[in-house]
Amino acid sequence: MTTVTYVLLFISLYFEVFLLVSFLERNLVRRVKKIIPQLFPTTAIVVPCFNEQKGIAATLESLLRLEYPHDKLEIIVVDDGSSDRTLEIARTFTNDSRVRVFAKDNGGKHTAMNYALAHTSAELIGCLDADSIVDSQALKRIANVFNNPRVAAVTPGIHTKETTTILQHMQKVEYHLSLFNRFMLAALGSAYITPGPFSIFRTSVIRELGGWKHGHSTEDMEMALRIQESGHLIANCPTAIVHTSTPLTFRRLFKQRVRWTYGFIRNAADYRHMVGSRRYGNLGLLILPTSLLSILTGIYFFVRILFEFAQQSYNTYTQYSVTNALPMPHFDIFYVNTSAMWVLGWLAVGLILVLISAGSWIGTGSKQLPKGTPLFIFFYCFLVPLWLATALFRATFKLGVRWR
Amino acid sequence: MMDPAISERTARLRTYAVALLITGLIFATAFYASNYFNERRVADIRAAQDDISTDILSIETQFDLLQERSCNDVAENTILPSALSSLGNQLSYMEAQGGNVAEVTRLKRLYSLLEIKDYLLMKQLSTKCKLKPVFVLYFYSNKGDCTDCQKQGYVLTALAQKYPQLRIYSFDYNLDVSALQTLIGVDNVENTLPALVINGTPHYGLQMIPDIEKILPQLATLKKATSTATSTR
Repeated sequence: MTTVTYVLLFISLYFEVFLLVSFLERNLVRRVKKIIPQLFPTTAIVVPCFNEQKGIAATLESLLRLEYPHDKLEIIVVDDGSSDRTLEIARTFTNDSRVRVFAKDNGGKHTAMNYALAHTSAELIGCLDADSIVDSQALKRIANVFNNPRVAAVTPGIHTKETTTILQHMQKVEYHLSLFNRFMLAALGSAYITPGPFSIFRTSVIRELGGWKHGHSTEDMEMALRIQESGHLIANCPTAIVHTSTPLTFRRLFKQRVRWTYGFIRNAADYRHMVGSRRYGNLGLLILPTSLLSILTGIYFFVRILFEFAQQSYNTYTQYSVTNALPMPHFDIFYVNTSAMWVLGWLAVGLILVLISAGSWIGTGSKQLPKGTPLFIFFYCFLVPLWLATALFRATFKLGVRWR
Repeated sequence: MMDPAISERTARLRTYAVALLITGLIFATAFYASNYFNERRVADIRAAQDDISTDILSIETQFDLLQERSCNDVAENTILPSALSSLGNQLSYMEAQGGNVAEVTRLKRLYSLLEIKDYLLMKQLSTKCKLKPVFVLYFYSNKGDCTDCQKQGYVLTALAQKYPQLRIYSFDYNLDVSALQTLIGVDNVENTLPALVINGTPHYGLQMIPDIEKILPQLATLKKATSTATSTR
């Protein structure tokens, strides 16, 4: 048990240190900034929607505010069989020549993306989920990254849209950590997700690869893995800012994360030939194996902490049952836990704080930690294993997941 | 904010090696720090044992000089039960932590010897000076073969808190100390644990506070605590 714990702690710490070392190495190298003339390739932004009457208007308004030549931008709304007012609201935007609205029977997000792909001749094609809002400069910044002919996709810097509940504050911290991870994975040539909110693709590559697939309800992961497999590059442009809605309730968050984790496990299984393969560089050698292992690690540490808590509670109960008194809380420095495991646990927490701060810096230019950081460290980490375990169970028995 | 990140799909072995080295150093530092703090704890326990050992030697010497000193002087300088039980708690904690097993066992053996010496000395003092100290000898095992030992420990801790003058001596039944084995033989304590020896009579199985108060009516003569807390295994 102790050996397993130390091995998992070592791998987790190694992964954090590896990302941090790579980040520092990248920033220590002084690069001469090439002045690249701003390019404006023709771009189609697809808004696939299914019952999105709440957010569709704000999403389209933000797209119409994009600082991008009007004749180079088209906005394609694909209503995927909504039963609410989504289509009606979307059609009110068709007075702008850049907006086209299509309606089709419900078939899932990947079918909506493929529908748009068949109806555009733009050089770039992107996706913006109808619960997200894009910054006016975002597309301009992303478009220039396509100057590199090997780049097939560019992911943005994703921030949370509103933070009202405690759960959303914790998710904001998680998104800052993701800013770091997404940036570093791209810097290591290892991005394995092209998220729904405003990832932009080279249309010719998407056609060459055969369009989007269901991808176990995570078409964004499947597509990213397919791009990596085919030898193209995925970049990250953190200055291209997009704000996305985060679940308000635990139930919705749980469902969303089960879908994400389930999709990752199943897609990783489909692309298992990449796991451990040196041919795919850092992605095959480290990122995919460690990300898969992190699911087991999260569950293992959760069960271990739960077991110790249960044991402690049982001891307190036993003490109460035989003495009719609860133990008096008192502090004695002698009894402060200084075992190597605890020291390593705290060091790992410290490293996570550094990574969150680095994520804030990458995404906002400020190293300040978000307000919800203490809650994220001490509470959110106990929620994560719940969806990890559920997703692992569902993936093992191929039970499938639903979008909503 | 950062420039876009793009990279070829390569793996720089140097980065892997540097990360491995740093992670190794972090692990080594954690183990070193943990070991350092454990050593500090062992040193604290050793110092406390030295103090108690010196105190016992001092009382023994005073005891030998009883003809020239009054009983009051000696009685006032006896070891406080809380000092012994606090040391016992610290040793139990160290034992549960699992590190430095040989050193902790050595300290535990020494602790048992100190307890026996204190017990014998208090018995002699009580005879000569007409004192009425109340003793409980507690034998436990932490080999996993005594399901009620933990509960008995809680009961005795609560009892010691209730009666701070009560002297509870706790012994690991399986500890390889010849003096302890002699004590076990003298009191005919069988390996049916937990066992309490009260007024020279062994009592087996879990004894709750009312049970002990019934067996040991002298407890009524001891002052009850208001807030002082001591504990024992």
